Amino acid sequence: MKEDKIPDRPSQHQGAADIIREKSKTGQIVSAEELFLTLRGEKGSESEGAEDSVSPEALLNKVMAENKDLREVRTKEGCAFYYSSMFMSETYARLLLCKQEGPIQLVADTVREDSDRYPRPTPLAVFKEPPFDLSKEEILSCLQEMSSRVEYQDISQVSTSIGHVFLYSTRHLDRDYALMLAEWIDVGQFENP
Amino acid sequence: MATKGGWAGKVLRVDLSAGRIWTEDTIEKYKDYLGGTGIGYKVIWDEVPAGTKPFDPGNKIIFAVGPLAGTGAPSSGRTAITTLWPTCWPKPLVASGHMGGHFAAELKYAGYDALIIEGKADRPVWLSIADKKVEIRDARGLWGEGIRRATYEINQLMGPEACVATIGQAGENLVPMSVVMNSVSHSAGGAGGIMGSKNLKAVAVRGTGSVRIAGNKEDWEKAIKLHLSILGANNQHVVPNSPQPWAEYYSAGSRWLASKGRRWEKSNPAIETGSCDPHHLNRIAYRTNNAAYFLGEGAWQYTVRGNGCTSCPIRCHTLIKVPAVAAKYGIPEHGQNTCGGLNFGRAFFKTFPDGQRGQTAIEACMVGMHLADDLGIWNNYSQVQRDFIKLYYDGTLKGKLGEKEFKSYSWDKYEKGDPTFLFELLPRIANKEGELGTALGLGTGYHLESWGIPEEEWKKEHSLQYWKMGHPKHHSNEDAGQCGVIINTQYNRDAQCHSHSNFTRNGLPVEVQKRLASEIWGSADAIDAVGAYTPMNRAKAKMSKWSLLRKELHDSLSLCNWMGPWVASPLKERGYRGEDTLESLLYSLATGDKKNRDELDQVAERIFNLHRAITIRDMGTKEMRTRHDTIPPWVSGDAQGRPSLTKGTIHMDKEDITNAMDMYYEEMGWDKATGAPTALTYRKLGLASVGEDLKKKGFVP
Repeated sequence: MKEDKIPDRPSQHQGAADIIREKSKTGQIVSAEELFLTLRGEKGSESEGAEDSVSPEALLNKVMAENKDLREVRTKEGCAFYYSSMFMSETYARLLLCKQEGPIQLVADTVREDSDRYPRPTPLAVFKEPPFDLSKEEILSCLQEMSSRVEYQDISQVSTSIGHVFLYSTRHLDRDYALMLAEWIDVGQFENP
Repeated sequence: MATKGGWAGKVLRVDLSAGRIWTEDTIEKYKDYLGGTGIGYKVIWDEVPAGTKPFDPGNKIIFAVGPLAGTGAPSSGRTAITTLWPTCWPKPLVASGHMGGHFAAELKYAGYDALIIEGKADRPVWLSIADKKVEIRDARGLWGEGIRRATYEINQLMGPEACVATIGQAGENLVPMSVVMNSVSHSAGGAGGIMGSKNLKAVAVRGTGSVRIAGNKEDWEKAIKLHLSILGANNQHVVPNSPQPWAEYYSAGSRWLASKGRRWEKSNPAIETGSCDPHHLNRIAYRTNNAAYFLGEGAWQYTVRGNGCTSCPIRCHTLIKVPAVAAKYGIPEHGQNTCGGLNFGRAFFKTFPDGQRGQTAIEACMVGMHLADDLGIWNNYSQVQRDFIKLYYDGTLKGKLGEKEFKSYSWDKYEKGDPTFLFELLPRIANKEGELGTALGLGTGYHLESWGIPEEEWKKEHSLQYWKMGHPKHHSNEDAGQCGVIINTQYNRDAQCHSHSNFTRNGLPVEVQKRLASEIWGSADAIDAVGAYTPMNRAKAKMSKWSLLRKELHDSLSLCNWMGPWVASPLKERGYRGEDTLESLLYSLATGDKKNRDELDQVAERIFNLHRAITIRDMGTKEMRTRHDTIPPWVSGDAQGRPSLTKGTIHMDKEDITNAMDMYYEEMGWDKATGAPTALTYRKLGLASVGEDLKKKGFVP
């Protein structure tokens, strides 16, 4: 349909790339839908009756090919989001993507990644900070739900000597090691500056 | 002069007994030792005979900087103070303290690479250095004043640009646990009493010259840009402590605190740090906030700005303004310091009503800084506070102090975490008042000895962090396992080495650290993940040697080993590599004396071996392995019985550590049985005459 198409002009290509970069600069990823809504809002009159229109997907493919800093990430359901590697790391983009999939996935993926890669347990308090921005209630609700679902049974907790909770994945860390690392992060490094 | 730049060219010498002032040529006499601790050790070896005591007029105190001080190179604001160390137990030996601030650059601008002071004035004096005009001036009007008053009085006389390094009442009273402090917050611990013993209240320097760079301007600027580009935050932590859009990695342990929404609230107007992309070199100073790092989120509301040393963009001395303390404690509402200085007051208490990171703890820090940084008391890497807590809570204090003295302290206040308790305790340390004040001022070794407490008791308990010779560990097995242990055996005070810990704590995932380690030390096995230590290997021995040599190199060039080395960076496009040749690049361009990395490391090795030689001479033995390089039992004992070298413990295996020391001695060219350098090693390092002198005494294996 004509409404699903968008003018295939250099200015549109540049506009799309600019929107993605501007969003990345402010720490956001952008969905295809949001991108085209913005483009249409900015260039609405130009798209009317344009003869050289293409589908949004085709235009995005061209924009991505022309701008090597632009990257695509997809949710498990296949929804695409875009960011510029000039202003955002893949790690951060994926973290924001996880956020799209809900707090449980966000917490679980972050904990598993930390336990595997660094390795380290994850302080529960980090989820209150940007870009996680979860409330205390949301975090507690996540923990409760994870404890009852089989796919999250690897997510476990330890508490440090000053009472702070850390999460870790038993796929990558055993309890003793997770506890030692949590104590080091929370207490040890400050006592050994 | 044989070279075109870097060095000022003169060493200033002062004999306070004779009132004599003269200069020497730096290049002619000290070039092979660079500067800083290199000059310090050379003077102690040549001119201070074994048997000299720290407070004897014959002891010398050497304020020395290196060819990079005053050049504008990042993190080049350190002054090394070398002397016989009064807290080194059971026998004072050579050691150095390091102050940041502005003294180093000012000394160079005045035309000097070092200031060597000997003798003892017949009355209190201070030394005024205004370029070539050097005067010994009467300090009777300053004697008895604190560091702040003395600094301001001298600045009134010399002008606000002069940098004043002074002692407080603690130094005047020959308290071993005392500091020299410049610019009112940058201290070198342990050396205050040496100045006091010479009746020297202060050294003030004003220089109007400059430091010449031998290399061409474009190359120098390129090198400085390179250095700036690979800087991290304080302690060279190269990842932020929370997720940032630009960052691939983050670590909650990082001192890179900047983030959108975090603000220096007491600036006017308040300043947001922003996300601090590492490519934005003009925002490096916003990365670090050590008040917030140590005192918690609540400290952001009190932050004015970062402060620090000449030409260092890191600004690790955070300036905070806590209005409540003015009315509550009658102290200034501003305070600034970093790390142990910032925590000085808080660290005396076991508990606070609102926790270790609450408002009361912050107020204890303010009271502590106010008192300690004026009285000039040293913390010995917080050993004095750990000693105090242990002795109070195990009942020793009550038993050791007479009833009258014990009751003169408000222990109820102490137990409640009331910062006003510090007004009772700290002045008594500075003034040697009473049994407790006097004992705490001695330093741990002499304190324990005077109270009849065996040192072994302190060596057993991990939580005390005590290592040996009156001093604590400083980044030992909790940082880099065996490497940290080896480093902590080597000095005559706490090791003060950050070459290894700045790498292991940089925040990068272990896989990235291992990739970098393989490039620097020849094998990824040089390092392990924290608390997942593997047996000793050759790469770990190489890393240990490298760490120690880079420390001595930094201390001699006037680079900050609290910040460097810079072998990791925040830059993804560099694969997070730093630059292992940075020191030689800066040195060669500044001085015109072209040396590659290995050649400059060999100079550092000469300096480090000279430190070893002085230690052997003054201890009167070559048996360093058994009598000097000792390791406390807590290193190889786990409170929960976990086996060493398994995940979840930092405790070491005794046999493995024996092997570690063997490998380290081999790397150093030292005899494995004694731990002493061989004659061949002395010769190879240009120290043949040192080796020969020691051989005559039977101290070369």
